Amino acid sequence: MRDLLLVENLTQVFGGRNQTVAVDDVSFRIPAEPTIVNLVGESGSGKSTIARIILGLLRPTAGRVLYDGTDILTPDRGWNRIFRSEVQAVFQDPYSVYNPVYKAERVLKLVIRKFGLAKNKSEARVMMEEALRAVDLRPEEVLDRHPHQLSGGQRQRLMLARVYLMRPRLIIADEPVSMIDAGMRASFLNILLDFRDTHGISTLFITHDLSTAMYLGGEIIVLYQGRIMEQGETRGVMQAPQHPYAQLLISSIPTPDPRRRWEEDLSTGPLAEIELSAAMERDRCLFADRCPQVMEKCWGARPTLGPLEADAAVADSRQVACYLY
Amino acid sequence: MAALLEIRGLSAGLQGRRSVTQVVSNVDLDVQSGEILGVVGESGCGKSTLATAIMRLLTPPQVLQSGTMTMNLKDGSAYELLRLSPRALRELRWRHLSYIPQGSMNSLNPVLRVGRQMTDTLIQHGLSQAEAHERSVAALQLVNLEPRLLESYPHELSGGMRQRVIIAAAVSMRPALIVADELTTALDVVTQRQILQELTNIRDELGATIILITHDMGVVAQIADRVAVMYAGKIAELGAVNGIFEAPLHPYSQGLIGSIPRESGQRIVGLPGEAPSPWNYPTGCRFHPRCPKVFDPCSEYEPGLRTQGSGRWAACHLYDAEVVSDA
Ligand SMILES: Nc1ncnc2c1ncn2[C@@H]1O[C@H](COP(=O)(O)OP(=O)(O)OP(=O)(O)O)[C@@H](O)[C@H]1O
Ligand SMILES: Nc1ncnc2c1ncn2[C@@H]1O[C@H](COP(=O)(O)OP(=O)(O)OP(=O)(O)O)[C@@H](O)[C@H]1O
Ligand code: SF4
Ligand code: SF4
Ligand SMILES: [Mg+2]
Ligand SMILES: [Mg+2]
Repeated sequence: MRDLLLVENLTQVFGGRNQTVAVDDVSFRIPAEPTIVNLVGESGSGKSTIARIILGLLRPTAGRVLYDGTDILTPDRGWNRIFRSEVQAVFQDPYSVYNPVYKAERVLKLVIRKFGLAKNKSEARVMMEEALRAVDLRPEEVLDRHPHQLSGGQRQRLMLARVYLMRPRLIIADEPVSMIDAGMRASFLNILLDFRDTHGISTLFITHDLSTAMYLGGEIIVLYQGRIMEQGETRGVMQAPQHPYAQLLISSIPTPDPRRRWEEDLSTGPLAEIELSAAMERDRCLFADRCPQVMEKCWGARPTLGPLEADAAVADSRQVACYLY
Repeated sequence: MAALLEIRGLSAGLQGRRSVTQVVSNVDLDVQSGEILGVVGESGCGKSTLATAIMRLLTPPQVLQSGTMTMNLKDGSAYELLRLSPRALRELRWRHLSYIPQGSMNSLNPVLRVGRQMTDTLIQHGLSQAEAHERSVAALQLVNLEPRLLESYPHELSGGMRQRVIIAAAVSMRPALIVADELTTALDVVTQRQILQELTNIRDELGATIILITHDMGVVAQIADRVAVMYAGKIAELGAVNGIFEAPLHPYSQGLIGSIPRESGQRIVGLPGEAPSPWNYPTGCRFHPRCPKVFDPCSEYEPGLRTQGSGRWAACHLYDAEVVSDA
C-alpha cells in the first residue's frame, strides 16, 4: 500500500546573513495504516519547520513531501482541496486561530458549511454535539461561549472537535499539550489514541516532552539540529536508545519517581567550549562536541542514518545516525 | 529547631471594584532550613501568588489579606515579614531572600552586557566594583558558566545560559531562601536536568533553602525533599516526596500522580473536569465537584490541613476522624 505521507530529503535553509540550516536532509514515512509518529527534539531542532513544510505553508529549500503518492505542491486545485480536508493541523494554543468574536458553535458551523458536511440544520446540530462529546466536552457548556471564555484545555479540545468533524486521515499536531495541565493532558492524548483506533486517523505528534511521546507509543523520530539521530518504535527507543544523543535525552526525562533519580551529575565541570568555526561546520556529526563517545572520524563527515547491524535486542525498524554502529 | 520560614494563615487575593476575590486561602506552611520544597498544582491554582506573597512582592490588584510569616535565620535573629517596614524589608530581601520569577529568563535587559546587569545591583547595595565582579564570577561558576560570559549580551546566549545567568544573579548574595517559580519550564530536558542538578549543588554548597514552584511532577520527584500540593488556592497535601508519590492521601494528589503518563499502551484516565478559578471556588472542599471520593460533608464543610503523622499533612474529610464518624 502507498504510504500516507512520504517525506523525502527535506532541507530548509533560512537565509539572511547568518544562515540557519533548520532541517537537514530529513526523510521519513507515515504508513497507510493508522499510526502515531512522534517527532521529538529540543527547541530549535526543526520540528515546527517540518510541520509547516508538510502542511504546505513553507516551500522547502530542497526535497519533497508526497501525500498519498502525490507531491503536495502539485498545482491541481481539486487535489489541493482534498489535501486540505484530509490533513489537519492542531497547534500549541489554538486561541490565535479562533476569531475572538465567534462563539464555539460558529467555529464548528463554519467547518460544516465549508466542507458541506451536513444536509440541514438539525443534522449539523447532531454532528456538532457528537464531535464535542468525542472530545469530552459538554455541548451545553461550550457552544455558547467565546474562545476567551474557555480554558486552554477546552480550547484545545474544541480544536480537536473541529478536526473530528472533518474526519481527516492525518493530524499534524505541533506541541498541542504543552499549554494544558497534567490532568487534562491525558484526556487529550486519549482522544488522539481513539482517533487512531476507532476512526483510522493518523497523527504526526510534535513535542519536546518525551513522556507524552512515550504514552502515545507508535513510532518516534529524534531530531537534533535539523537531522534525524535515531528513529524506530517508540517503546523500543525509549527502553534502549542507541544513539548517544537519544541516550542523553531519554535519561534526562524527569522520571516521576523519587526513588529513581538521575544518577550521573551532568552539572559538574564547565560547559564544553566549542570553537565557533567548528560549531558552524556541518560536515560532521552535529553531536560530536557533546558526545561522550566521540571519535576522530565523527568530526570528519556526516554519519548516515541506517539500520542497526543485526542486533537481536533491538530488532525493530531502528535507524541510527552514528559511527558507533 | 525552628523552621526557616513559618507561614500561618496566609491569604491573598485580587482587589476588584467592590470586593476582594481570594486567590490563596489560609496557607499554613513551615519551610525547613536547607530543604528543597516543591510546590505543585495545576495552572491558576495560586502557586505564583503564594510565591510573591512570601516575598512580599504582590502588586495591585493583588492584595495581602491576612497571615503571619516568621523568618528564623541561622544567627538566631527572627523577623516577622509582614510587619517589617519597607526599608527593613528591602534590606532583609537583599541579604537573605532571593526570588526568581516565572519567565525571568526573558527579563534580561537586551542592551546591557550580562556583567553589567549582575554587578549593577551589587554596586547599588554598596559593594565596590571589584567585590561585585568577584561575586559575580563566583556565582557564574556555581552554574558552570565561564567568567568571560560577563562580556556577552543576552541575545548571544541560549535559553539555558540566560536562565543560568538569572540563577547566578539570584545567588550572588548567598541568600538563605531562594524562591524559584517555573525555573526550567521553557527548557529542553537535558538543559533542565543540568540546571536542576546545579540548583541542588547550590543548596548543598551554600546551605540555602529552596522553594521550587512547578507544575511538572517529574521535576519535583527528581529534586524535591518535600512536596506541597496546591489546589484552588489551598494546600491539599504536604509531606516527604517519597510518601507523596508512593501513597498520596488526598484524592487530588492521587489524581495528579495517577495522570502522569508512564508507559506506552497503558491508558490513564486523568482528572475529570477542570480546576476552578478564584471567582468560582466551590463551597466546602474546593475539590468536591471533581472528587471521585466525595461524600456527605464535602460540599458543605471546608476540610482543614491536618497532620496525618510522619510529617504528612492532608486537607480532606476522609482523614478527618470527627467528620467521618458523624457522617
Ligand atoms: N522564518 C524563519 N526565519 C529564520 N529562521 C527560522 C525561521 N523559522 C525557524 N527558524 C529557525 O530554524 C530553526 C528551527 O526552528 P523550529 O521552529 O523548526 O524549531 P522547533 O524544533 O519547532 O523548536 P521549538 O521546540 O522551540 O518550537 C531555529 O533555529 C529557528 O530559529
Ligand atoms: N495580577 C493579576 N490580575 C488578575 N488575575 C490574577 C493576577 N494574578 C493572578 N491572578 C489570577 O489568580 C489565579 C492564580 O494565579 P497564579 O498566577 O498564582 O497561578 P499559578 O498557580 O502560578 O499558575 P501557573 O501555573 O499558570 O503559573 C489565577 O486565576 C490568575 O488568573
Ligand atoms: S557519530 Fe560519533 S560523535 Fe556522533 S553520536 Fe556517534 S559516536 Fe558520538
Ligand atoms: S474532602 Fe471530600 S471532596 Fe474533598 S478531597 Fe476529601 S473526599 Fe474529596
Ligand atoms: Mg516548534
Ligand atoms: Mg505561576
